[in-house]
Amino acid sequence: MQAWNKISRMPAPAIKKMQDELLHKMINEELAVRHPYYRDLFKEHNIDPAEIKGVEDLSKLPFTEKKDLLLPEDNPLYPKQFVLEVPAEDEQKPKKKGFALFGKKETGPDPSDYRFFSLYFTAGRTAKPVPMEYTHYDLDNLREAGLRAFDILEITRDDTLINAFTYAPNAYFWQMFYSTIGIGSTALQTGGGKVIGLEKILKAMDSMEAPVLAIAPGYGRFALHTLDHFGFSAQNLERVVIGIDYSPMEAVDSIRKLMESVGAKDNKVQRIYFNSEAKSGWAECAPDYGYHTNPDHILVEIVDPLSGEVLGEGEMGEVVVTHLDTRGTVLLRCKTGDIATGGLTTEPCPNCKRTVPRIMGDIERKEMIYDLQGKEGIIKFNGNHLRKKMYAREDVLLWYTEINQNGSEDVLKIVAKGVSGTDEGALFKSLEEELKAELNLTLTVEGSTLDAVANKIGLEKYITEQVIFDNRKS
Amino acid sequence: MENWDKLSKMPYREIKDMQDRKLRAFIANQIYLYSPYYSALLKEHKIDPFKVKGIDDLRHLPFTYKWDIAPTDEEPQKAKDFIIRPDEEVTEKYGHLAKMSMTGGKAMVEERVSDFKPVHIHFTTGRTALPTPFVYSKRDLDNLRESGSRLLDVFQVTSDDVVVNCFPFAPHLAFWQTFFAGEKANVAGFHSGGGKIVGTNNLMDAFEYLRPTVAVFIPGYCYYFLREAVKQGRDFSSIKKIFFGGERVPPGLKEKIKELFTQLGAENVMVLATYGMTEAKVAWPECPSHDEYHGYHLYPDMEIFETVEPESGEPVGEGEEGEIVYTALDWRGTVVLRYRTGDIAKGGLLLEPCPNCGRTVPRISSNIQRKSELKEFNMTKVKGTLVNLNNFFPLMMSHPDIEEWQVEMRKRNNDPFDLDEIYLYLATKGDIDRDKLVSDIKQKVLRDTEVSLTDFIFKSVPELVSQLGMETELKEKRILDNRPG
Repeated sequence: MQAWNKISRMPAPAIKKMQDELLHKMINEELAVRHPYYRDLFKEHNIDPAEIKGVEDLSKLPFTEKKDLLLPEDNPLYPKQFVLEVPAEDEQKPKKKGFALFGKKETGPDPSDYRFFSLYFTAGRTAKPVPMEYTHYDLDNLREAGLRAFDILEITRDDTLINAFTYAPNAYFWQMFYSTIGIGSTALQTGGGKVIGLEKILKAMDSMEAPVLAIAPGYGRFALHTLDHFGFSAQNLERVVIGIDYSPMEAVDSIRKLMESVGAKDNKVQRIYFNSEAKSGWAECAPDYGYHTNPDHILVEIVDPLSGEVLGEGEMGEVVVTHLDTRGTVLLRCKTGDIATGGLTTEPCPNCKRTVPRIMGDIERKEMIYDLQGKEGIIKFNGNHLRKKMYAREDVLLWYTEINQNGSEDVLKIVAKGVSGTDEGALFKSLEEELKAELNLTLTVEGSTLDAVANKIGLEKYITEQVIFDNRKS
Repeated sequence: MENWDKLSKMPYREIKDMQDRKLRAFIANQIYLYSPYYSALLKEHKIDPFKVKGIDDLRHLPFTYKWDIAPTDEEPQKAKDFIIRPDEEVTEKYGHLAKMSMTGGKAMVEERVSDFKPVHIHFTTGRTALPTPFVYSKRDLDNLRESGSRLLDVFQVTSDDVVVNCFPFAPHLAFWQTFFAGEKANVAGFHSGGGKIVGTNNLMDAFEYLRPTVAVFIPGYCYYFLREAVKQGRDFSSIKKIFFGGERVPPGLKEKIKELFTQLGAENVMVLATYGMTEAKVAWPECPSHDEYHGYHLYPDMEIFETVEPESGEPVGEGEEGEIVYTALDWRGTVVLRYRTGDIAKGGLLLEPCPNCGRTVPRISSNIQRKSELKEFNMTKVKGTLVNLNNFFPLMMSHPDIEEWQVEMRKRNNDPFDLDEIYLYLATKGDIDRDKLVSDIKQKVLRDTEVSLTDFIFKSVPELVSQLGMETELKEKRILDNRPG
């Protein structure tokens, strides 16, 4: 990766030129030579790697999808097809003697950059988690991505941080860890509620007088609601960094309001978009200003999820990532299943002036969009939008919905728990009327106990809460 | 911190000189100046910090007990007083120096920050008190990394190995010691977070995908994991070494583990043990041997170990049974001196070079019993029988007919003033003669713990695995104390 100060001020054409060069190099010097899957794919599709001169030529290459990466039951080693082979020692050119007066001498690939060092997995929300191999080279990139994200978030070593992102062997947790270690801030890596429970997280936040809390949005909202119950204070809390799960602007607003209501010192909420396939995460300088990507590391395309057509600036579509400078597991045109509602922009950020491409809007999950059989035909039900709506409801504490089959019709059963002091009867009634009108589906809203809802959504059981259960599949 | 190669060949006389020197400097330059708890303690006991000349003078310092540092509801911030931290006056002075210096000011500030600023935290597991935080500065993390690489050196794990870390993820020493060890020694790995985090099947997949040579486990979960792997016909033939942390590994369990590995295709796996404690901020390796116990190798440039008579607190001689007392040497962050660990080293502290590997660093005997597992029972009309629950572990873990077990303590009639009862849950290996087993266990438990079991409750393996929380708890619930009040 290159110097962040330089990259983040580079004009768009210069960024594009850099990406063209990196892509050409990655395809010709790495993938065509030592990537088992893509080397074969190029041959199979009669693709001449030399003809991929830049970003415009990317559309000549097929997409890589989750199913391509998935581990076949009978071959646990299959994901190694996506890992760069370690170059043979004789590929290294002998180092030239004398001083390198005009920059670094070309010495060929260094095998130590390619040797496996750490294994992470993709989030595995919809399918089996895919192993992603990291080498030292990749971990350096992950550290750098973490430091850049903290630079964008303006987190410094004076900020004590409680990392309440759920532990999993994935880039999400480890990027946060490397960021805090990298800047030297005081940090507690809690592992999330699944590991130490909410009470201990809140206690640590209070006793360490931590100004920064990193937490999944739903769990963060729940934490702030229950602060009083546990008898802890948020008087030193200045900002909440949300990520690892769907984090729409409604979640930002909801947490902001809650911070105000619990007497937090400030009410800043910021977002990070972690992307396992990109092997790192990107931060927003301020909510809704877009996730600032690392163009020297990952090339982002936004495509139509169905046709695969590359979309224009600002158009909503699926996030597709291509690795420009990675080792270990390397992916080309990988469809992530994430929908960026605001598309991609290459305009400089109006807030922080950084010039790197930004992914705009909310990041929705493609698999949360369902075709449901309504009374009068197929109805598109976007579960992301229901989640958004629930974040906006100040009276709903926790909830989930089941998609059930009733005869030939698909119906929704929404189960909710209101915040303390809410008239739940009135809440369920108003929610039901509102959702019926909006979704045009047959649905019911009913109440349940806090424990029952928390257990069902796996609040302290899964990496992120599960709120939509499609019972039709079973 | 010293060079490990040099240190592990240094004659004990030189090691002691080095410890004397380091202790003198540590007490005078760090503890006395920057440790709120100990500077007050020294003043209170009228101990002149400059008169602590070496480790022989340690005995003038009072002991520190778990309750001195563990937070309470009344004093939740107690542990902060054990953190080495320059006070504001000193910070101001150095800040001023930094501003004044035209050349090295920034570097000086950075050095101070690296020395003192907490960046990482572990907690005690809180079995007997509220969890206590132990903080690390950047400098301390370098110590943690170094201790990890020493541990791997003793275990002969190199950068050609691949490690799967199956310790449960938590802000605890075990997981992080393994992580930082790999980082320093350049050993590739997968830090899974354990079965609770990734699930047992996914963990097995990771073993088959990575083909690791080394696995790191808590013994109870390992035994369960390997049995499941055998059931599924997995291939773990790449494994050469396995090391345990968290609890003692009785010889019988070692044999069971080796046998399971053989069934999984890995022959003659070396089973290794570590001993660690949150308060010491590191873990130590047992010298590797297939059938003998040579003790845990210590890091004499990072700590001083004493062994004392538990009641009187008087030091015991070399090789004599005693309670382990730990003193930090040259650490920052949270620091404890003369800390009564509650752990009893049956074979004491050993200063002779290791007969197995020849390293000269002090060793603590392999047979360590945790005091926290000693519980007082009213089993009979005679009150206060002290039962050593440690003794259940070797007995049950090694028994050839037992697959899983759990001990539950109750009060008769659930009355807090009535007698204590001990129930033993058992899941057996296949069809065995239960009456014979009950009689065998009864006799052995009486022999090893001097108590009679109230009753035996037989369960299926899956039932007991679930009751133990094998896949849901950080550490399985082997001993349940359900006595009211």
